[in-house]
Amino acid sequence: MAERLKPVDVVTIGVGLTGAIMAKELAAAGLKVVGLERGPRRDTSPDFQAPAIHDELRFAVRKALMQDNVKETVTFRNTADQTALPLRRWQGFLPGTGTGGSAVHWNGQTYRFQPVDFVYKSHIEQRYGKNFADPDLTIQDWGVTYDELEPHYDRFEYLCGTSGKAGNIKGKIQPGGNPFEGWRSRDYPTPPMKETQYGALFRKGAEKLGYKAYPQPASTLSQPYTNPEGLTLQQCVFCGFCERFACEHYAKASPQTVILPVVLKNPNYEMRSNCQVLRINLDSTGKRATGVTYVDGAGREFEQPADLVLVTAFALNNVRLLLNSGIGKPYDPKTQTGTVGRNYAYQTVSSVTVFYDEDTRINPFMASGSSGTVMDELSGDNFDHSKLGFIGGAYVGAIMTNGRPIEFHPTPPGTPTWGLEWKKAVARHYNHTVVLTVHGMSHPSRANYLDLDPTYKDAWGMPLLRLTFDFPDNDLRMSKYVTDKTVEIGRAMGGTTVVGAPRKGPYTSTIYQTTHNTGGAVMGNDPTTSAINRYLQSWDVPNVFVIGASAFQHNGTYNPTDTVGALTYWALDAIKNRYLKAPGALVHT
Amino acid sequence: MPNLSRRSLIKASAPVGAALLSGAFPSTDAAQAEGAHMHTAEAPTTAAPVKATPNMPNMAANASNPSYLFLNSEEAAFIEASVARLIPADDRWGGAIEAGVPNFIDKQLGGAWGAGERLYRSGPWQKGAPTQGYQLPFTPAEFFRTAIAAINAELKAATPFARMSVAGQEAYLKSLEAGGKDLGGIPSAEFFAALWQITVEGFFSDPVYGGNRDMMAWRMIGFPGAYASYYDLVDQHGIDFQQKPTSLASDVHMHVHVHTEIPARLPE
Amino acid sequence: MIEMSKITSGTLISLALAAGSASAQETARQLDLKHGAMIAAQGTANVPACAQCHAFNGASDGSGAFPRLTGQSPAYLVEQMRDFASSRRDSAIMSPIAKQLSASELLDVSSYFAASDGPFPPLARADAATIKRGAQLAREGDEAKGLQACNSCHGPDGAGLPPRIPYLAGQYADYIKLALNMWKMGFRKNSPEAMKQVASKLDDRDIAAVAAFYQQVRDATDSAAAR
Repeated sequence: MAERLKPVDVVTIGVGLTGAIMAKELAAAGLKVVGLERGPRRDTSPDFQAPAIHDELRFAVRKALMQDNVKETVTFRNTADQTALPLRRWQGFLPGTGTGGSAVHWNGQTYRFQPVDFVYKSHIEQRYGKNFADPDLTIQDWGVTYDELEPHYDRFEYLCGTSGKAGNIKGKIQPGGNPFEGWRSRDYPTPPMKETQYGALFRKGAEKLGYKAYPQPASTLSQPYTNPEGLTLQQCVFCGFCERFACEHYAKASPQTVILPVVLKNPNYEMRSNCQVLRINLDSTGKRATGVTYVDGAGREFEQPADLVLVTAFALNNVRLLLNSGIGKPYDPKTQTGTVGRNYAYQTVSSVTVFYDEDTRINPFMASGSSGTVMDELSGDNFDHSKLGFIGGAYVGAIMTNGRPIEFHPTPPGTPTWGLEWKKAVARHYNHTVVLTVHGMSHPSRANYLDLDPTYKDAWGMPLLRLTFDFPDNDLRMSKYVTDKTVEIGRAMGGTTVVGAPRKGPYTSTIYQTTHNTGGAVMGNDPTTSAINRYLQSWDVPNVFVIGASAFQHNGTYNPTDTVGALTYWALDAIKNRYLKAPGALVHT
Repeated sequence: MPNLSRRSLIKASAPVGAALLSGAFPSTDAAQAEGAHMHTAEAPTTAAPVKATPNMPNMAANASNPSYLFLNSEEAAFIEASVARLIPADDRWGGAIEAGVPNFIDKQLGGAWGAGERLYRSGPWQKGAPTQGYQLPFTPAEFFRTAIAAINAELKAATPFARMSVAGQEAYLKSLEAGGKDLGGIPSAEFFAALWQITVEGFFSDPVYGGNRDMMAWRMIGFPGAYASYYDLVDQHGIDFQQKPTSLASDVHMHVHVHTEIPARLPE
Repeated sequence: MIEMSKITSGTLISLALAAGSASAQETARQLDLKHGAMIAAQGTANVPACAQCHAFNGASDGSGAFPRLTGQSPAYLVEQMRDFASSRRDSAIMSPIAKQLSASELLDVSSYFAASDGPFPPLARADAATIKRGAQLAREGDEAKGLQACNSCHGPDGAGLPPRIPYLAGQYADYIKLALNMWKMGFRKNSPEAMKQVASKLDDRDIAAVAAFYQQVRDATDSAAAR
């Protein structure tokens, strides 16, 4: 029998990036907030210190910072005519856990989406006509505009101390930045990261072909910085242990470094770690949440009543919670009805490998998670697609993050896959190879969705989330086009051998291709095609807000985190200034 | 299983290799040698013994008796012979044997990962599509044990793997890699892929895990290891960075302590 | 005792790059350790002998005034000397000396001390609690102060991370205290983004603790031969 606890004003399910930001502001506004974190509490010192954290086997290969598959995982199939099976180990994407969540082990790559992303359907139809995009794609407008989000992007970047060079300040194009970016109100809080050798080689090759290279915006900081919360981050030292690891230097923006210490000091806030939330409880009308039920680390079940429930558990878990709680109508791909689970998207990533001779040393181990050099000419809709027969694009750059040898030991085509010649080739090419990344959009499709698995359960007996996903053909055509163009850049970079590897289907869960799982509880203006309104408030249960990349109608060209941060501040603004003053639906249709 | 003599062997193989060289190594009696987990290491029968060069780790310390905690002698024989083919030694750099990959594999299979840490182990089990990843019920320890037992059983009547010629071993490994064989319920291609993966891990992981002896593999490629701070160097493009690598287990004298069974100690 | 073997071609290039040499031809110049030893022992026409303060083997006297140079990373020594010369690092004693050394003298004397060897003087140890606190800061950092472990940059228990990051292990506590205070107060201005940040978070007790820890972390009888 669950023990019923004293009611609080707000519960956040998860104490990662979105949960910490929400908690800080609401506790500061005088509300009693409880953060329920499934995983353990972790602090930069001692938990993330070097050298222990620089352990490739433990963290990058065995995934020690990630969600524990023993207790909970996701089931997966490419298409609905297959049986979904559990991802018994994480390979293709790596959900985080513990305080800070995935924003502890991310790379810090911090890009805004483009203005057209938020009105994508209108834009594509206007530019190319109503019948240009493949009919299986379910692209939609988001219900919010870039201009509305701009101050919140700015706020999130200044929270993180993001290092970069603005390309467009209030409409005026700035040299050295990205000329294609949406306007920003001011420059980045810190200057760009130092350019690495591979970045410089890419820049030369790209600029030879007329592209404009610019420094990758980085929340691994180029210099010490004190953020508006009064927390000081230090300077990144390019240690090469960024993604899948935590930062020992307080130099990577994570909840621990940018906000959590402030939240934890507020007596209005209480964090409970090792607490697994099973469901959001609803009253008899089904239209009001009464709180959540969770199980603590010792297996005891509790009911935590709350007036406001914030679902801040990472995109995939957000959707699973809605489904396990009976909030919203689950999406049915056959009938195209229902909202929860639709428009799941991912990222369409491919690569081009440039092999050099021994005169060119790359030193790939000197890198941060975001010390790359990139270009934007082929992102999104930055180029004319009318004769190309697909929509969407990819950013391209040299964004190598490490030279960790278990994961990185490139060899040219024709090299045997094991044996003496393999070993010799590894020794020969390790320090003389650049890998270019093609990081592309992921369009939503009717057939790609999330729902509950009928068979497999987690350790608490709750159904697992089921993922049905394959690359839409549009995205594979897009990948081929941009990868081919990137091969040209590789050749212009002066490599002796250039190998392009466009993304091919079917999507496999066995090869890592980002942890950019988006959608499933998408935002919009139309309650028949979105689960939450433009303020990230559930259409069905107004005292539930669902914050995260689950809100994305599609996944844009870029990494999601900056947009997740902006949406978090955007929703927070609505909660503080409108919802708390008059609880109830913020949007009426 | 009596542990005492194994413990003494482990202590004896502690950093002071001189003790072993001088014969202070307690000789194992017959009863112990029959114990499943001891294996008198001989150089793989197939390759000529690799002579010590500056690039080879100091093998003398463990030359006579690596302490296998998990692999029995038949399993160890297969592992040693197969990894020697997967990453062979040459005149410039040692291979998997010199790097201690069999020891790494043994400690991994005998540890938490081998027992199924971070593995979703509930059924029902179904052979999935390749895109759905690993779907067998076996933990890694069970997986390797089952497959190697099947291999050893198959080859028992003919020539055990460890006694094949180099060419024979390579051909056999290729046949596993190509698939089509069922190893006690494990598709051979899946076994080969797992064997290759764990060999690469043992070759390139931090020496603290028992492989990559003397950081040989890191020295081969130029990877500097665990201590990493490059702010002043990252913009010196193409710098010839030749510093000796460091391990998680490096001490202030740059000795690497790989014996993780010796308990860690807080400073006094 | 000079260990020629310690100066490899990699060190030559690292040294020269640290010294900002422009071309490969420049970097190929052979370092002259004997010349460096002479400068250390006798000085030049323009500068006094380094040995007067640092001792011929670089081991100084254990006081806070003169750091131990013995076996220090050669590129680090070169960089500091260049910083003294350009006043990026300002010292009333070292800046005039560094300014009077030619580029090749600077390289030679730096590489001489980098290759030198010498015992660690038997200095008084601090109490156990102080050393323990120092060990904590060195190995773990301090969350409340937002401080990472010193070892993460300075290598295993301060062994150094050449070419650019100096050893702290065996460096004299009084000198470490001096250096940290110089950064904290803004008098030492090189490496500001890293060392000033760190030093600013340390109070006097922490500085004393870290210094005490690193001074004693090596075996007192350790020498290059044992490494």
